[in-house]
Amino acid sequence: MARRFEYAQAEEIRDVFTRHGVRYLFIGKSGAILLGYPDTTQDADLFVEKTNTNNAATVGALRELGFELTDDQAAEIERGKDFVQLKNGPFDLDLVFAPDGIEEFEQAWRRRVDVEGFPVCHPDDIIRSKEAAGRVKDREALPRLRAFRDYWLERNG
Amino acid sequence: MSTLAEDTQLGEWHAEFEAAAGRSLRTRFRYAFLYTYKPVLDDAQYRSFDTTAAYREWCARNLPSWLGYGPAV
Repeated sequence: MARRFEYAQAEEIRDVFTRHGVRYLFIGKSGAILLGYPDTTQDADLFVEKTNTNNAATVGALRELGFELTDDQAAEIERGKDFVQLKNGPFDLDLVFAPDGIEEFEQAWRRRVDVEGFPVCHPDDIIRSKEAAGRVKDREALPRLRAFRDYWLERNG
Repeated sequence: MSTLAEDTQLGEWHAEFEAAAGRSLRTRFRYAFLYTYKPVLDDAQYRSFDTTAAYREWCARNLPSWLGYGPAV
């Protein structure tokens, strides 16, 4: 049974990932919520840089957070996957190593927004990834998300 | 040119954005993350995909359409 994702758990991700040197960004609706977008979601989505070093650091950080990865699962994350869905830990987490619509992690990293120490994708990147994913739920969310992007840019641009 | 309905909708959204901006991040978190069981998707402890396209295809083939994970037509 999954548990509701809470602020303290986001802090744990931030602190543990930082300690392990993991390069990542909050993306998707959880990223938008960090930026101030008022909406609901179920889990956190992290855009993780896909390099051998970062993959290995991610496995170490996940295990410290309490995710019960088997050796086979750890090995495949270390080898490199594009998408990993985790429900074997203290909260649900999606690791996205190659989000639709964003070519390179480095580009998104340069545009990132720091929210109280949380590294978050720029709203343009969050929108770009949802546009490219093209799912029904993304298409439904995009008009309000674009309105939030415009509002956010007026305040922070 | 926007319609009255669009302007009204935008005005409502802006009011929501303003209200959210007045709340702390901790408070926003408390009300933003909910747990709702999603059939099939929540029935495995771990899944991985070599490519994002493979993940999208798996969602389209295996998840109930009403979850909204399939491609928009």
